[in-house]
Amino acid sequence: MATQGKGSVLPMGTVFTLENTSPEFERVRPEVAILPLAQHEPHGPHLPVGTDDIIVGALAARIAGRLDAAVFLLPVWPVGTSGPHRGQPGTISLEPETLWGVVADIAGSLEVHGIRKLVVINGHGLPTGPGARPWGNPVVKTAVRQLNYEHPSLTAVWLQPFTLAGPALREVFPAGDIHAGDLETSVLLYLTPELVRGTPPDFVPPQPPSYLEFAPFVSLSPTGVWGRPSQASAEKGRLAVEAAVNASVDYIKQTLGFLGQFRPAERREHQHVDPA
Amino acid sequence: MLDNRATWSDFRSRRPELAVLGIGATEQHGPHLPVGTDLLAVDALARQVAERLNAWLLPPLPVSLSECHGPLGGTVWLKPATLAAVLGDIARSLEEQGVRVLVVINGHGGNFILEPAVEKLNRTLSSLKVLLAPESLALLPGDSPIFATADREVHAGEVETSVVLYLRPDLVRPPRPDGALSVGREFLDYVTMERLNPEGVWGCPGFADAEKGRRAFAARVEAITRYVLDAVQWLAREGHGDSG
Repeated sequence: MATQGKGSVLPMGTVFTLENTSPEFERVRPEVAILPLAQHEPHGPHLPVGTDDIIVGALAARIAGRLDAAVFLLPVWPVGTSGPHRGQPGTISLEPETLWGVVADIAGSLEVHGIRKLVVINGHGLPTGPGARPWGNPVVKTAVRQLNYEHPSLTAVWLQPFTLAGPALREVFPAGDIHAGDLETSVLLYLTPELVRGTPPDFVPPQPPSYLEFAPFVSLSPTGVWGRPSQASAEKGRLAVEAAVNASVDYIKQTLGFLGQFRPAERREHQHVDPA
Repeated sequence: MLDNRATWSDFRSRRPELAVLGIGATEQHGPHLPVGTDLLAVDALARQVAERLNAWLLPPLPVSLSECHGPLGGTVWLKPATLAAVLGDIARSLEEQGVRVLVVINGHGGNFILEPAVEKLNRTLSSLKVLLAPESLALLPGDSPIFATADREVHAGEVETSVVLYLRPDLVRPPRPDGALSVGREFLDYVTMERLNPEGVWGCPGFADAEKGRRAFAARVEAITRYVLDAVQWLAREGHGDSG
């Protein structure tokens, strides 16, 4: 909770959450909001279905505190598209356009308050992720793009923390560890070890992850694991969290700084060609 | 009871047929209450109800139709169609995995779209019923009313403040200014809250105390639980939920 010092001067790096009151927001007027998005889906036999919520929430809180700005840390939106896990016990799936609507509506409501910078944490990502394309949630990339194009006075960016930390983490978590494997198990062992139930066998399907676009997860991995949970440790989890927070803070500061140079684009009039 | 700390194995072995979803909000609540008031209250309420019913407790939605609080700080919102779509998608996810009843507990008064959305889902889903939990309290005949000013409250008054004093007294700050408005409750359909009271209060928080909050909370848990059990029993008799 952001606390008020004497007078109207607050320390830099003040984080506003749902525990603050409206007048506290009004006195300081945060300029940046962080929207963490999670998914509610199976994570093997040993990790909670709320794994993403736990990880993204923890990363978002740490990132928010390091931005040297007044930040509105929004609550984690707990359900995503979870396409590959549809129909499985414990999965809650939104349609892509529904999730798009959630992001767009929240961004629009922030704009009313004069909060013109939005950082969407689009899941936690993977160190071997492709970077410019998000792991598992491309609809959010689309939503952010449209927000920027359609709301010239708003600056929205998306990121996936473990993807940004790829250079630092690729050696520690090599390719093939995609879901409920080494990375997620390690991070939970660090954050909430009481919620980790044993260690299931490693399993890396021979098929490429792109098969998830047309095949249910459970058909590619009957155990629900895609990776190497046997390699997990709390120390690796701590390393992963720190690297992800550092990389995300750097990205946000640099990117918002760079984009701040651009004035809101003036809309160009469509040039109609008279068919007659 | 299952929540998001449970694993896939838990869900596969337990196969819950009853789920509970709280709908919270992120919105101004006057100078004395946190912007997360609706979420924290519905979170606690849904958890208690789910425990009583041994149901699947879904994570509460943290944002809903708070545009009525417009530009007042700390407020974000969804549009009505989006909230209806979220509820529909959640209901279909649950139906796909064999849940038969979804109890929706609304934590924010402005979510009027829920009633038609629920009615439509109940017409269009084949094996899941959605029950919208009643707003009333289970008071026994002879019980004294809990609140003195509930009829004058729309937002952040005696009722809401009492509940937060019960659940999280550390989050209630002074002052607690009363907001007495002479217009009808429907006026939030016409203007946003700050036009009616820039402090954002519509009610009498000065009357609040933790004991009232405790009584009301318990009464609401009881009312919802009983309503659901009665409705589920009735639905079973009427043929919904028969596995043949």
